[in-house]
Amino acid sequence: MSLYKYAKLYALNQSKYAHLNAFNSLVDPSALLARKSVSKAGRSKDDKYDVISGLPMAIKDNICTKELKTTASSGTLKDFTSPYDATVVKLLQDEGAIIVGKTNMDEFGMGSHSTHSHFGPVKLQRYEGEEASAGGSSGGSAVAVASSQCWAALGTDTGGSVRLPAAYTGVVGFKPSYGLLSRWGVIAYANSLDTVGIFGKNAKGVGAIFDKLNVHDPQDPTSLPPSTRKRLGRQRRDMSSLRIGIPLDYNIATLDPTVRQAWIRRLKFLWQCGHTLHPVRLPATQHALSAYYVLAPAEASSNLAKYDGVRFGSRAEGIDGTPDSVLFAKTRGQGFGSEVQRRILLGAFSLSAQAIDNYFIQAQKVRRLVQQDFNNVFATPNPLFDDTTSHSEDMTDKVDILICPTAPSSAPSLSDVKTQDPIHSYMNDVFTVPASLAGLPAISVPSPANPEEGTPEYEHRDSYFHSVGIQIIGQYGDDKLVLDVAKKVEESARTPLTRGGPEVKSWGHSLFNDGTSNERYRYGAQALELGNTITEAKAMHEAAEQEKTNKGAALLQETLGLEHLTEAAELSNKSLEEYIAKFAGVEDPLEAERGFHAYMSKKKDKGLRTAREQEKSKEVTTPFVEHLGHERLH
Amino acid sequence: MFARSTRSTLAAASKRRYVCPLCLRRARRSQLGDARLPTQIKSQSFQTESQPPPPQDDTPFRKLLKDAAKQQKKEKGSSFEQPATSAKSTDPRLKKWELTVGIEVHAELNTARKLFSSAATSISETPNTHVSLFDLAFPGSQPHFQKETLIPALRAALAFNCEIQHKSSFDRKHYFYQDQPAGYQITQYYEPFATDGKLTLYPHDFPPGAAPQPGPFDIGIKQIQMEQDTAKTVQQPPSTHLLDFNRVSHPLIEIITLPEIHDPVVAAVVVRKIQNVLKSVNACTTGMELGGLRADVNVSVRQRGGDSSEAGHSYHGVTGLGQRTEIKNLASVKAVEDAIIAERDRQIDLLESGGVIEGETRGWTLGSKTTKRLRGKEGEIDYRYMPDPDIPPVIIGYDLIEHLKRTLPKLPDVNVDSLVQTYGLTTKDAITLLSLDDGSRLDYYLETVNILLSQTKGQESDVPLETIGKIAGNWVLMELGSLFHSEPWDPTRIPPNFLAGTISRVRRKQITSPSGKRLLSIKFDGDRRTVQEIVQQDNLLLSPLSNDEYMSLAQSLLDEKPEMVKDIVEKKQTKKVMWFVGQMMARTKDGSVEPGRAEEVLKGLMGLGEEKL
Repeated sequence: MSLYKYAKLYALNQSKYAHLNAFNSLVDPSALLARKSVSKAGRSKDDKYDVISGLPMAIKDNICTKELKTTASSGTLKDFTSPYDATVVKLLQDEGAIIVGKTNMDEFGMGSHSTHSHFGPVKLQRYEGEEASAGGSSGGSAVAVASSQCWAALGTDTGGSVRLPAAYTGVVGFKPSYGLLSRWGVIAYANSLDTVGIFGKNAKGVGAIFDKLNVHDPQDPTSLPPSTRKRLGRQRRDMSSLRIGIPLDYNIATLDPTVRQAWIRRLKFLWQCGHTLHPVRLPATQHALSAYYVLAPAEASSNLAKYDGVRFGSRAEGIDGTPDSVLFAKTRGQGFGSEVQRRILLGAFSLSAQAIDNYFIQAQKVRRLVQQDFNNVFATPNPLFDDTTSHSEDMTDKVDILICPTAPSSAPSLSDVKTQDPIHSYMNDVFTVPASLAGLPAISVPSPANPEEGTPEYEHRDSYFHSVGIQIIGQYGDDKLVLDVAKKVEESARTPLTRGGPEVKSWGHSLFNDGTSNERYRYGAQALELGNTITEAKAMHEAAEQEKTNKGAALLQETLGLEHLTEAAELSNKSLEEYIAKFAGVEDPLEAERGFHAYMSKKKDKGLRTAREQEKSKEVTTPFVEHLGHERLH
Repeated sequence: MFARSTRSTLAAASKRRYVCPLCLRRARRSQLGDARLPTQIKSQSFQTESQPPPPQDDTPFRKLLKDAAKQQKKEKGSSFEQPATSAKSTDPRLKKWELTVGIEVHAELNTARKLFSSAATSISETPNTHVSLFDLAFPGSQPHFQKETLIPALRAALAFNCEIQHKSSFDRKHYFYQDQPAGYQITQYYEPFATDGKLTLYPHDFPPGAAPQPGPFDIGIKQIQMEQDTAKTVQQPPSTHLLDFNRVSHPLIEIITLPEIHDPVVAAVVVRKIQNVLKSVNACTTGMELGGLRADVNVSVRQRGGDSSEAGHSYHGVTGLGQRTEIKNLASVKAVEDAIIAERDRQIDLLESGGVIEGETRGWTLGSKTTKRLRGKEGEIDYRYMPDPDIPPVIIGYDLIEHLKRTLPKLPDVNVDSLVQTYGLTTKDAITLLSLDDGSRLDYYLETVNILLSQTKGQESDVPLETIGKIAGNWVLMELGSLFHSEPWDPTRIPPNFLAGTISRVRRKQITSPSGKRLLSIKFDGDRRTVQEIVQQDNLLLSPLSNDEYMSLAQSLLDEKPEMVKDIVEKKQTKKVMWFVGQMMARTKDGSVEPGRAEEVLKGLMGLGEEKL
C-alpha cells in the first residue's frame, strides 16, 4: 500500500474526527497528498523509521509556525501568526515531515484536561456515548495521534502536559531531558520546566522523531551544548537485566485500583524478563506538586507580561486604559481565560516582596530536594553535576530506571472535570511533576487497563478502550534507556491503539476490520512498523517465511541427503515432506533436525516412553510487588 | 602608554566638543567676578555643561583659569573661616538637618550589539530598524546574552575599584509600561557582576572653594549591575506617543552609590565624575546631554546629633537615616543638584511643620522649584524580582579581569598626577589639558613632547622631561589656545611635529619667541611649508648683532634722546629703558636683537648696570 493512501486516510480522519476539536488549524489536505512522491523516495525497507519523510505530523499550537497561526489557544493570540518557525518545526520539515495542523490545548499550556481553550475543549470520544478528558495541556496532539489524524505530534510538557494526555488517550508520550530539544519558538509557560515532547503510537516512532530533534540549537540559551551532550548516557548497562526502581511514594491512597493493577502487572512482566525490582524512596515527592504550582505560575506571570496587544496579538475593543494607568489593562483582562488569570495572580503573589521568601524561594529549595531524591536512587550520577559528588555510596540500592503510573486514574469524564475545583484538577499532575522539576526524561506508555497481558480480549469493548499510562523515568540524559525500556513495556502489553496502523477508518470498532483477531495480534506490530495493513503485513510475513522455508528445505536436502531424511521421516511416522517442513522454517534447520533425530533414535533404542516435560511454572510474585500492593501513602 | 586612540577616533567622529565643566565652571565664575553663594554659582555653571566656551567671551581660556584661581585665593583670604560649602551657613536650618543622598546612575554602554540579541545598537538610526524578535518580546523568542557587552562594563567596574564577581546572574524586574516590551526589564538584582567599589573625589573635582574637605575622600559604590534599556518614546503632541524600539535592550550599567553624600554639590560632582570616568575608560557612549546617562537620587534628611530612634531607616547597610524619597530620571548634572536641593528643602519644611516624610517616588523637571509626587508607597511598584530562567549565570574568568586591569585606559586622576609629576605641568594645566577636546588635546600634547624628546636626545643631554613638558604645555595651552579660540580644535592645522620644530628652535634661541608665534600663525592660516622652509625663506633665523653693533646702536639711540637719558639716570625713571629696547628692536631686522641683551647693553652705557630696576 502506498503512502499516498495513508495520506488520504489521515486526511479523512481529520474531517471524520473534527468534532473532537483536536486541531485549532489545519493545512489543506491537498498539501498532505501532494507530498506523496517525496515521501516514497525517502523510505527504505531496512531503516523504516530512520526517515520520517512524508509522514504527517501535528504541532501543538504553542509552537511557532510561519504557515499556520500560533494561538496557544488564547484569545490574546487568536489571530497571531509568528514571523518565524520554531527550531523543532524546522527540523521536522527538513526531514521531510508534513505539518498537517496545529493542535488544541489548554491556554498557554495551563491545565490538565485541554478544556481551558479559547477554541473550546478537546474531547476524548473513543466509542459512542463517551465524552472524556483528553488530558492536558497537549490534549489536542494526543487525540490527533490516537485518532490517526496524523502519524505523530509534538506537544510541550511543563509538569506532565505530554505524559498525562498520552496516558488518558492511550498513546505514547515522551518528555525528553530538559535542554535536549530546542525551545526556540516554543511559547514559554514556565521556561525552567518547559520541554518539547513527542506523541506517537509506539516508542519506536517516538524515538525516531526524538533522534531528529535531539540536536544543539544555538538559538536556545538553555539548549545543551555539544560538549555536555557528549557526557550524556555513556553508562553501559546490561540491558537484559536492569535494576528497576519502584518509587513507593507514588503508591498513594487515591491511586485508582485499575492503575495500581496495571502497574503491578508491568513490574511482574519485567521481573519475568530477568530484570530486578527494587523499592525506592523519593520522600520529596509529596512536596513536589506544591512546589510546582508555586514555580510554574511564578514564571508564567512573568512570561505572560508581554501580551499587551501593543506589538502583536489582539487588543480589546474600544479605548483601553485611563490616563493614569497602563494602556492594556482591559486588553489583558479580556484576552486571557480564567485559568490563565488565576495562575498569573498566583505567580504575581508568590513573587511579591512579602511572599517570595515563603513561596518562591521555598519551592526552589523543594525543587532541589526533588532532584537530590532522584540522584540518590539512580545508579548513574547526574551528568550535570560534578563527578566529585559522593558516589562512593553503596551501589546495591541504586537503580537504572523508575517505573510508576503516569496519572492516578484513567481519563475522567468531561462532566466530572467541569465540576472539579482547580486544586483537585492540579492533583492529576502529581506523578508527572517530579520528573519535570528535576528535568529528567520520562515517557508514558499505554498499558491495557483490565486484561491479562498477552491475551487479546479485543471483544470486550470497554476494557478494550481503557488503558492506563505507565511512566518510565530515567536519570538525566538517559533518554535512550527510557525509550528502550518503553519498547519492552510496550511489547509486553500491546493495546489496540499502539498496534493499530493508520488505516483506522473509525476509532475503535473498525480498527481491526482487516484480518482475524489472531492475525491482528500476530501481525499488528509489524503492520505498524511497515506502515501497511494487517493483511499486507501477513502476506509479506508469509512470503518471507516461505522463502526461508524453501531455503531451509534445500539446505537440509543438500547437507543430509534424501536417504537420511527418508529414514528419519519413517522413524517419526511422518511423510518426507512433513519431516522437511518441520525444520525448514526454523533458525538453524540442521541443528534442529540433528537434535530431533537424536531424540527419536534414543527413544526408539531405549524404548523410553514419550517424555512429557513437566513445565515448571515460575513463582510470579515477588515480595516487593506484594509489598507494593499493601503500601498506602498519604 | 595612553590608550586613547579609540576614544579620539570616537570623539572626532561625533564632532562634538567636550569641555570639562569643572574647568569651565571656574572660568565662568571668575568672569562673573562676583561673590554669590557657591551653590548658586554652581547651579549656573552646570547649565553650561558640555557646551563650548561661551562665544561672547574673548578672554583666552587659560586666563580664565588663572583668574578663577586668583578669585579663589581672594575669597579664601577674605572669608577664611567660612566653610567651603557655604550653603550651610546661609540656611540656618542646615545646621539642624543633615542631608543624605544616594545616587543610581544609569549609563549606556559602548557596545556594538544589544545586551540580549545580536541586533546592532544605535543612537540615531531610523526608528525601529535595529530590532530583533527578542527585543520586541515576540512569543517563543529567547535572550542571547552578548558576551562582548561585558568588556566595557568590566572596564567601568574596574575604574570604580569594584570587586568583580566570578559568578553573576540576571533577574527580571517586572512592571508594565509601553516602552517595556516584555513587561519586565532584565537586570542584575540578586547577583550583580561588580560590588564594593569606590569613587575618590579630589579637591580639583570641585568648583573653587566648594570642596567639603581639603584632601581626597571616597564615596562608596555598593554595586554595579548590567541591565537592558527600554524603548524610546517619541512624543507627538498633543496625544501621540511613538515608540522606537532601537533602544530596547541597549546594554546599560547601573552604578549604585552608598547613601554617603551629604551635600548637593558633592552629589553633582559624583555624577559628573562618574560620567568622566566612564568616558575615560571607554565604557560609555555618550554623556547626559544625549541621554546616554540618567540618574535617580534617594534623598533623606535627619537631625544632626539627634537620636536615631526618629531616623531609624537603613539603606544599603547605612543605618540611622531618615525616611527617603526617590527622585527618578534626572537627565543632567544640574538637575541632580537642583532636585536634591529642592527635595531637601521640601523635606525640612515638612518636618519642621510637624509633618512626616512618606516613602514615595517623585519627579523633577528642569527649571521647577520643587519636586513633584509621582506615586506614594501604596502605589509603589512591587517589582517581583525573579531570576531569569532562560539566561545562564555569567562566569567571568580571572584571566579576563587581569587582562582588562592591565589594559585599562588611564583614569583622569591618574593622568592629572602623572602630568604634574612627570611632565612638570601645574595641576590646573593638567586638568585643562585632560578636559579639552575630549582628550584629543592631550594626545596632541603627548605627541609633541615625544617628538621634542627624540629631537633632544641626539643633540643635547640632560634636558629633563619636566622642562620640555612644561614648555610644551605652555605652547599647547596658551598659543594654540588663542589660535583656536574661536575655531574648533583641529590638530591637523598645526601638526605636532610643526609645533615641536617651532618650540625647539625657540628653546635653542635659533628664533625668537615672537617669531615662533608668527610661525604658528602662518601655519594656522594654511601655509604648507615646513618650519625649516618658513624660517629660511622668511628670514626668521636669529642672527645676533655683535657686541660692537649692540654698543654702537645703543649709543646712537642714547645720543638721539639725551633728555630721556637724563630722566632715567637722574630722575630714576628706569622704566623708560624699555623704550630704548623697543627702538633697538624696531630699527633692526626681525630677530636680530634680543630684548634682554639690549637692555643690558643700554643700562651698561648709562651706568645703571648694578642697580636693580
